[in-house]
Amino acid sequence: MSRPRKDPRAERAAQRVAGATRPRFDLARTPETATSGRPRRDPRAEERLALVPGTLRRRLDRTRRAGEAAIPAPQPLATPAPDAPALRRIPEPAFLVALVPDAPGGRLTPHDRQLFGAARLLADAGGGAVVALVDPAADDLAAAGADRVLTLPVSGYDPEGKALALDAALAALGLRHLLFPESAEGGDLARRVAALSGEALFAGAESLTAKAVTRAAHGRRTEQRGAPPTLISLAPDAVAPHAGTLHEALPVAFAFPATTGGAILAAEFVAADPARVSLAEADFVTSAGNGVSDFETFRALIAALGATPGASRMVCDAGLMPRAAQVGASGTVLDARCYFALGIAGAPQHLQGVAKCEHVVAVNTDLHAAMIERAGLAIVADAQEVMPALLRLIAEEASA
Amino acid sequence: MRIAVLLSAGRHAVSGRPAPVPVELQAVGLAADFVERHGADLTGLHAGPDVGPLRDALGHGLPNLVHLVTGADDDPLPSLAAALREGAFDLILAGRVAQGGEDSGLLPYALARALGLPIVSDAAALAPGETPGTLNVEQALPRGARRRLLVRLPVLVTVHPAAPAARPFAFAGARRGILETRPGLAAPRASTGLEERPYRPRPKLIAKAAAGASAAERLKAATEAASGGGRLLVDPPPEEAAREILAYLAGIGVVAKR
Amino acid sequence: MTDTALALALLVLAMAVVAGALAARRARLWRAGRAARVDWLDGLAALPKRYLVDVHHVVGRDPYAARMHALAAGGLLAGSALALAGLVPLLGNARLYWWIVALAFAAALAGGFMVGRRRLPVKPARLSGGRFQRLPLLLAAYAAGGFLVALDASLGGALRPFAFVGLALAAVGGIGLARQLDRGPMRHAFAGAAHLVAHPRPDRFEGKPATALAPLDLDAPRLGVATPADFTFNRLIGFDACIQCGRCETACPAFAAGQPLNPKRLIQDLAAAIQPNATNAAYAGSPYPNARPVAGIGGPDKPLVGTGAMIHPDTLWSCTTCRACVEECPMMIEHVDAIVDLRRFQTLELGALPVKAAPPLMELRYADEPGGRPLGARTDFAAGLTLPLMAAKGEADVLLWLGEGAYELRYGRTLRALITLLQKAGVDFAVLGAEERDCGDLARRLGDEATFQRLARDNIATLARYRFSRILTADPHALHALRNEYRAFGGAYEVVHHSAFLDELVAAGRLPVGALGGARVTYHDPCYLGRYNGEVDAPRRLLDRLGLERLEMERSGRRSMCCGGGGGAPVSDIEGERRIPDIRMGQASATGAAIVAVACPQCSAMLEGVTGARPDVADIAELVLMAVEAAPAAARAETLA
Repeated sequence: MSRPRKDPRAERAAQRVAGATRPRFDLARTPETATSGRPRRDPRAEERLALVPGTLRRRLDRTRRAGEAAIPAPQPLATPAPDAPALRRIPEPAFLVALVPDAPGGRLTPHDRQLFGAARLLADAGGGAVVALVDPAADDLAAAGADRVLTLPVSGYDPEGKALALDAALAALGLRHLLFPESAEGGDLARRVAALSGEALFAGAESLTAKAVTRAAHGRRTEQRGAPPTLISLAPDAVAPHAGTLHEALPVAFAFPATTGGAILAAEFVAADPARVSLAEADFVTSAGNGVSDFETFRALIAALGATPGASRMVCDAGLMPRAAQVGASGTVLDARCYFALGIAGAPQHLQGVAKCEHVVAVNTDLHAAMIERAGLAIVADAQEVMPALLRLIAEEASA
Repeated sequence: MRIAVLLSAGRHAVSGRPAPVPVELQAVGLAADFVERHGADLTGLHAGPDVGPLRDALGHGLPNLVHLVTGADDDPLPSLAAALREGAFDLILAGRVAQGGEDSGLLPYALARALGLPIVSDAAALAPGETPGTLNVEQALPRGARRRLLVRLPVLVTVHPAAPAARPFAFAGARRGILETRPGLAAPRASTGLEERPYRPRPKLIAKAAAGASAAERLKAATEAASGGGRLLVDPPPEEAAREILAYLAGIGVVAKR
Repeated sequence: MTDTALALALLVLAMAVVAGALAARRARLWRAGRAARVDWLDGLAALPKRYLVDVHHVVGRDPYAARMHALAAGGLLAGSALALAGLVPLLGNARLYWWIVALAFAAALAGGFMVGRRRLPVKPARLSGGRFQRLPLLLAAYAAGGFLVALDASLGGALRPFAFVGLALAAVGGIGLARQLDRGPMRHAFAGAAHLVAHPRPDRFEGKPATALAPLDLDAPRLGVATPADFTFNRLIGFDACIQCGRCETACPAFAAGQPLNPKRLIQDLAAAIQPNATNAAYAGSPYPNARPVAGIGGPDKPLVGTGAMIHPDTLWSCTTCRACVEECPMMIEHVDAIVDLRRFQTLELGALPVKAAPPLMELRYADEPGGRPLGARTDFAAGLTLPLMAAKGEADVLLWLGEGAYELRYGRTLRALITLLQKAGVDFAVLGAEERDCGDLARRLGDEATFQRLARDNIATLARYRFSRILTADPHALHALRNEYRAFGGAYEVVHHSAFLDELVAAGRLPVGALGGARVTYHDPCYLGRYNGEVDAPRRLLDRLGLERLEMERSGRRSMCCGGGGGAPVSDIEGERRIPDIRMGQASATGAAIVAVACPQCSAMLEGVTGARPDVADIAELVLMAVEAAPAAARAETLA
């Protein structure tokens, strides 16, 4: 309401060139004074004032709670370039929030990154620092949000040894929180530490703020809520991953007590054999539908891609693929990362079976097939022609 | 060899009625198969006020079930620990997460600690080791991978849902099975100090959109998951199609980049 | 009386002795079976009617076979009996009497020729070979021999050389026939008669449906049937009555789909297993399609089912319990009862179910619903419709039982149509809503009698709380359970299928219907409505009222073919060569109809699952709603004209 009302007559009068016999108007001329006495707002200037510096994303603080004085004068140079996030140092942390990412093979999973997000949330609420407790050689911990990095003295699969080390660190470093991902490995570790330390574990937190965490209990019929305790395991997709600032990821030294060998005498990792793994557990499924008639080529392609074979109901009915390979509501509902559909139109029941797949690649002759619509990469072509071309390409690349 | 399977007072996920926990029935199946192949004693153990439909576990291949009667607010841990210590079991099987209490999956770990036993999580298959007193455990890892472990007995093993399906229920088996009732130990549960209220499902975050993403990016990420919304190639030459597919598959990491 | 005639009479006597001894030996085997309550006097008194009316009603569907059987069996029995009676001097000395005997044998000879003509030169696949293939020769030899001897006697010994030839023929044929009495085709004669007398379902012959499964005593030491000795003795007689005509195998949908079930072979395996150290080697009919290998050995106290026994479990789980075999059986054998009894042992005692059949039963135990879905979601299909709840009303004229189909998107459309029609007709109805549990049909057909009985008792207790005059349902499986099977647990209800109910409403003028413009429609009879409950007319009457051109499929009415959705077959999912609904849809397409009218959620789901070009599938309620919505327009058109 602070905008002045326009008075077209007055404006016109102001634009009138004086002294002419006929009325002449200089439209380019702007009136010198505002016609109303109220001051005009400058929204751009206001925005500049509200801009919070030091964040990757443009953030505006319209409440001005931070106080205008605290905010330096707006200048475009203060905003960091998006490709170089600001480095934030916490030299004197008020407390420590530790986390134990799974980091299989040294690579953080999306769940691990969410764990960092949760740890930052807890740490930043009171000037704390985030300590990542990792196996040797985990990547980009600085970008993920770790202020300190402590390497655990564990080799091979020894969850009990790892838990003992964590328990020692928990007591000696006076960690305020120790966070785990509620995954197969992280969940196991969290419970081991809980049993060792006698601390209560807040298992599978579904929401987390600095003030409160919640989890489901009693068969998902009640929700437990409380202030964040020491040991928390975080459910997947509960907290957004950390982004925006870069952290130091300073290596920290700690004298872990020596551990003796546990009860596990031998451990051998067996990678999933895509040809044998059950469809429900498979990571990458390649499926044949009605558009595939040459099943020898299809099987060769499966072997070349290292995929788990699937099929549509039609193909299973016809006996071309075993019944166990059927994908869909009446077959198997997949949990795969990628689904590659060859010659499958995508009946609703079939799409139900691939609803949880993150990536779908479809090859079908029908542009309007539901599977084409669902796919991340859709190719309107005859699967019968694409299959040998794929095989040739794979062979070429292998020989190159 | 003596095997015990821990059973908890579960509830059906939809109806909310008392029901056995599916993964514990899978544990019963694993144990029953082990008994059939290699010979062993098998007992089920439950600590709680009521045995209810856990009797049905007897129809899934469990020959007998010991019910340790405790109060509704009692912690089952001391009762179970005492019974397990007394029974001198070599192998104790439990589900991944028991139901009826906090559903935190902590009990097997606390029990292992109390009994001084090692614990191995997420078993999908069991077999005796080559040397006596050892056990081969196939541990289920995400995405169908496995880890073969050789552990020294006695051990506590939790079972993963990737284990073979539970044996189908046989009514006469449940009728034949022996249910033994023993008094448990009174051990009032310590208060968790947590506020409890009816559960309400929370929307899951869209993992793709990081905290730094704009609203438009988040919306895009949310709708993309449902409708693909990816690249579309109409009638490309087969070679080009193959190149595109392979590049896409390598990009998401399901086939090795070459 | 000629000496050859005397010899013939003595031959008949010898045959009778041989046959009697063999029959007695066979009958002793039946005593291995469990006791059963049989009203022998009533059965005996009813035997002629059961044979002449009920059996011949079935046999008469194949007129050639009926004539053949009348001539062969009638001639054989009459000729033999008369020849034996010739021992009475008064009759034996009358030449005219021997004319009559010769006539009877001539009839038997004609029958024998008909038997032969049917089997030679090429035996139809459904008929058994082996001993059965020798039957026409023995029959012809005996009948021809008897004829020659009798003819000679009637002529006072004028054809003496022929009579000797005849006597030799008769001796060979007659003794051959008599020896077939315990293992061969002739067994059906005495076992069949005994079966008709001691039939386990006597109500069948009184015109009642008599299709409800018998409740199982859950406190019995052994649940279900593991060995032949676990069957009641009259069931064992039933298996022996099989004449291996193969009508069941041509009717069986699982057989047609190439699943490992052949009802004839199954009954023969059961019959063979009665004797100690039995094997299935003597069987000479068509095998189980894609038969799974079994040891094929058994005995009265040996298990029947298993790879080391007579019957492979897959055979058992292929059955859709459609009763087509029972409907076609001229010997009134109850195949489905036997299959369910065998399944009960597998499920209740061994827990040996097909992999995919176990989860639905588990869900039924803990959630009262085979899909594990919330009971309250059963009425979700009716979003936007006002659905009166019994819990709120307390009483209603009609209780609408929604059934399992309500959870399905496709069948939800049908139920919406039905509810709209009920509202248009102003019917006072209500549903149970979240109080409705599964009727237990699936559990019972899969042999889980314990779960069925619990569900039945719970449902009966729920129904007892409300007042209603009738139960209306669109699901024939629920209809059968509620109408016929809950009776044994104290729940007697008048249950009406929606096809009959809508027919009533339209006939009473409460639902004005317009013509649907002569669309071509064919009606697929649900097994549990047509065969199990004999309701085949009401749906057809209703379709005719809608002004549709009704075409009949190759198999329809009580002899209709199953869609493949019953008896838990979709969850057992035994592999075959084809799918049953594809076969049935093929029959529907062959009529040239544009619409297949269905009246059952299973049928609609199975037939909708058929891919490719095919007629549309529409439930009767949907067609009626279309006609009702067309009615005002049609009426207006009439007044304008």
